Amino acid sequence: MAVKKMLFVTQFDELWFDALQSLMDLRKSGFNHVVFIHVIERDKVAMHRGRGYLKDEEIKLREIANVRFIDWAESLYEQGMEVGAYMVVGDLVPKVVSAAREEGVDLIVTGHHKKSRIEGLYAGSEELEILQRTATPVLIHKYILPSGKVNNRPFEKVLFATDWSHESEKAVEYLIGLKEVIQEIEIIHVASEKSLDGSSAMEVQKTRKEGKKKLDEVCEIFLAEGIEAKPHLYVGDVAEQINRAAHERGASMIVAGTAGQGSLKKRWLKSVPGKLVDQSEIPVLLIPLHSEATGN
Amino acid sequence: MSKRVLVVDDDPDIITFVVTVLEENGYSPLIANNGEEGMAKAVEERPDLIILDVLMPKQSGIKMYREVKGDEPLKGIPVIILSGIAKRTFLRSQEALTEFGGQLVPEPEAYLEKPVEPEELVETIKKLIME
Repeated sequence: MAVKKMLFVTQFDELWFDALQSLMDLRKSGFNHVVFIHVIERDKVAMHRGRGYLKDEEIKLREIANVRFIDWAESLYEQGMEVGAYMVVGDLVPKVVSAAREEGVDLIVTGHHKKSRIEGLYAGSEELEILQRTATPVLIHKYILPSGKVNNRPFEKVLFATDWSHESEKAVEYLIGLKEVIQEIEIIHVASEKSLDGSSAMEVQKTRKEGKKKLDEVCEIFLAEGIEAKPHLYVGDVAEQINRAAHERGASMIVAGTAGQGSLKKRWLKSVPGKLVDQSEIPVLLIPLHSEATGN
Repeated sequence: MSKRVLVVDDDPDIITFVVTVLEENGYSPLIANNGEEGMAKAVEERPDLIILDVLMPKQSGIKMYREVKGDEPLKGIPVIILSGIAKRTFLRSQEALTEFGGQLVPEPEAYLEKPVEPEELVETIKKLIME
């Protein structure tokens, strides 16, 4: 599936125009339409004691966003791209989900909005909340590298984490749709230490062999599409090992499939996607399995 | 019968402003909130004039303008672009789209940058619609 239309979520904190520019490689795969959304959080303008609804503040915040979007849109229009914009008041997650649905985008791009430890315990991050409520892939775009430079070609060298699930299969399809921009994929499967508890040396070797075989099969799928692919098997804490592999292999992005709509347990305990997003220093693309029709 | 003017804009304040100006000057306004709706209304209503914003959700004024000017029954309808986007950008975008294999479209009949004074808007409308 090619990324033709993108919803670019910006609260003017993490993501600016250079973050969008760093994704322009996607034009090779048909990307030609970007929709900006800025959500003015309700508590910035809502009823304040003795002051009522701050209409003037809302107008000011809308206009600030409008000025920025016009400037960004001008650059994109001149390249022959299609651009749209939303400046809305409300809660971020529902507004983003509804704009994504209305526009029929292929990708949602957002920054990482870290919550406090207490908030995170029951609510998770906003981007994971978005993922739980949409069928659209979400890119948590950490576009400034630890070196301080912009990650200009995030799709160039992808680290794809698979657990052999249907979600992972869907992620494979999505990545094939991006073959014009991806040069190399490092495919990783992480066997958890727990799954090896009580195993004999022989059983561990068997697990390794089976894992390697499955990884080779996934590699073949990408190679057949003309994408360079290499298999890697790691053992340990899943999120930790994926991040370690990304670092070791010099990956420009981490990609993983996810069940999307999280169970209560997943929301209370930190999920793998949650940890990945929190710990990663590079962009993380999460691809949900479920479709809009399943009532999410 | 009063002339009908289709206003395509996603900003409710701008719609209120333009509709008020139109009604005070004897025109009948039609309203659409984005290019997609605007195009549907243009096909259905065949207005005498279109006032079109550029940066909108769903479909921009740039795309709608190309569709209007590429549509045989609609292409004669004069269009006023009313936008915060600079005219130079609008024209360059049309050039870029033409280069990418699109059709060549003429320049809009008028281009007004937001905000616009009511007098300037009325004068421009009068010039484009022969009573």
